[in-house]
Amino acid sequence: MADRVLPRKGDRDTGAFFEAADRRELVYKACDDCGTVINPPRARCAKCGGWNTSWKQSAGKARLNTWSVVHQQVHPLFPAPYTIVVVELDDAPGIRYVGYMDGAHDLHEGMAMRVRFEPTEDGGALPQWMPDNAE
Amino acid sequence: MDELAIAARDKCAIAGIGVTEFMKDSRRSVLSLATEASLAALEDAGLRPEDVDGIVRCPHDQITHNDLASSLGIPDLTYWGEVGPGGVGPCAQVGQAMAAIMGGLATTVLVFRSLNGRSEDRFGQGGHMTKSAPVVGGRATYDEYFLPFGLMTAGQTFALMTQSHMNKFGTTSEQLGHIAIVCREYANHNPRAQMGDRTLTMEDYLSSRMISSPLRLFDFCLETDGAAAVIVTTTERAKNLRQKPVLIRAQAGGCPPDMRGGMMFPIVMRDDPTEIGGKKAGETLYRKAGIGPDEIDVAQIYDCFTISILLQLEAYGFCKKGEGGPFAASGALRPGGSLPINTGGGHLSEGYIHGMGHVVEAARQMRGESSYQIEGAETCLVTGGPLPTGSALMLRRA
Repeated sequence: MADRVLPRKGDRDTGAFFEAADRRELVYKACDDCGTVINPPRARCAKCGGWNTSWKQSAGKARLNTWSVVHQQVHPLFPAPYTIVVVELDDAPGIRYVGYMDGAHDLHEGMAMRVRFEPTEDGGALPQWMPDNAE
Repeated sequence: MDELAIAARDKCAIAGIGVTEFMKDSRRSVLSLATEASLAALEDAGLRPEDVDGIVRCPHDQITHNDLASSLGIPDLTYWGEVGPGGVGPCAQVGQAMAAIMGGLATTVLVFRSLNGRSEDRFGQGGHMTKSAPVVGGRATYDEYFLPFGLMTAGQTFALMTQSHMNKFGTTSEQLGHIAIVCREYANHNPRAQMGDRTLTMEDYLSSRMISSPLRLFDFCLETDGAAAVIVTTTERAKNLRQKPVLIRAQAGGCPPDMRGGMMFPIVMRDDPTEIGGKKAGETLYRKAGIGPDEIDVAQIYDCFTISILLQLEAYGFCKKGEGGPFAASGALRPGGSLPINTGGGHLSEGYIHGMGHVVEAARQMRGESSYQIEGAETCLVTGGPLPTGSALMLRRA
C-alpha cells in the first residue's frame, strides 16, 4: 500500500490547484471580469457568464469555519483520532478548503489559520492548515 | 405555470409496496434482494411481472433495469429511467414514474432500491474509495479536494455541517439526541425494525461513543442489507387492483441557494452548509400539491443522520431556520405529537434502504397499515436525501 492518499493530477479543471501546491503555492480560481470566486474551480463564471477565469495567488491566511474530530477510523492511512478542518481564505472570502490535522484539537470558529505545505512522497506537497499561532 | 402539475394531482398512485427483511447480512446478491422486494410489491398490488412496462432505478444501485427485468421475467419493458443520486432518488424516482405514466411512456412502473449496505458495500467505510490504489478524484468528482485530507465519508461531511449549525445557532447534542430517541420510539412498535426490541434513552445517547464529532454512534443510521420497491400506475387502474390506492399528490426537486458541483463533499465549500435543497423542494412541492406544512399529518423525513432531520425540519417549513433543535426537543415529533415522523423507525432505527423505505412507510400510513398508525392521517410528506440537491413527495389517502 502507498503511504498516502494522493489527489489525481492533471485534471483540466482542478489540476492547476494541485500543481501549484507542489510548488508550495496556494491558489484559487476567480473570474477576471467580475471578480467572483469559483470553488470547486471550473472554466466558466456563472455570475457574469464569462469564460475569462484564472488562478490567483493567496497569501495562505484563513479563518476556521467548521471542523470534526474523527474518532472512528475508516481508512488505514488515516488513523484516528484526527481532525478535519474547513477554512475560508482571508484574501478570497468564499473560497473554502479542507485540511487534515493529526490528533484531536480544541478549535473554535473564526480562529486564525495558516497554510503549511506537507511534502508528499512524489516530491509534491499538499496544502494543509494549522492554527496561526502554533510553531 | 403549475397547470400541468395541478392537472396531474392524484392521477397516479402507488398500487403496491414490497420489502425484504432488513438485516446485517443477507447472504444473497443485491439482484436477489431487488427481485424479492419487486415480487412482493407486485403480489401486494395483485399484478404479475408481465404487467410491468417501466422501471426506474437509482444510479447508486448495482442493479440495472435489464438485470431486474430479466430476473423478474418482464417481457416487454417500454420505459426505463434513473434518478438520484443516492438518497435523493426514491422521491424523485416515484416522480419520474408518474411523469412516464402521464406522458404515455409506460402504464405500470416498478420503482426500487436494493443494497447490501452492511455485508458488502458499507458507505460508512468510504465505500467508493479503493484502499489499494489511493490516487483519487478528477473528472468532476472533486474527490481530490477531500479524500487526501481525510474527509471520506458521509458521516464526516454531516459532522462538519452539524458543527456549523452548532456554531451558528447553538444547537446541542441533546437536541440531536431527541431525534434519535423519537425514531427509536416508533421503531419499538415495528417488528421489521432492526432496533425494534431495543430502547434508547438520553443517557444511552449521550454516553454513546463519538464517531466524528459532534456526531455520535446514535446519530448515525443503520447500514443495512435489504430492498424496497413500489408499483406506480394510474389511479384509475389502481382502483381495480388489490389494495387501496395511495394517491401521488405531487413531487418536486429543489436546489440549495449556493449549489456546487460534485456529489456530497463540496457542500462544505458552500457559504452556508446548513442551507439545503429541501427548502426549494418543499416550497415547490407545497405549491404543486396545494398542501402546506400545516396540513401534513405525518412525515417520513430522510435520516442518514439525526442532523439530516433537523436541517429538513427547518427547510420544509416546520420551524424557523436555526430552531430545528428546540423544535426536535419540544416533543412535536414524538408519538402523540403534532408532527409524527419516521413512524417505522426510519434509517436510524428501522433500516437504511437509501430512502425507499420511507416511501413504503408513507404508503402504509396512507393505507392505514403502519405499525404506528397515525389515526385519521390523510397526507404524508416524504423527503429524500439532503445532498447535493433535495427531493420530496406528497402522498394522500384515497
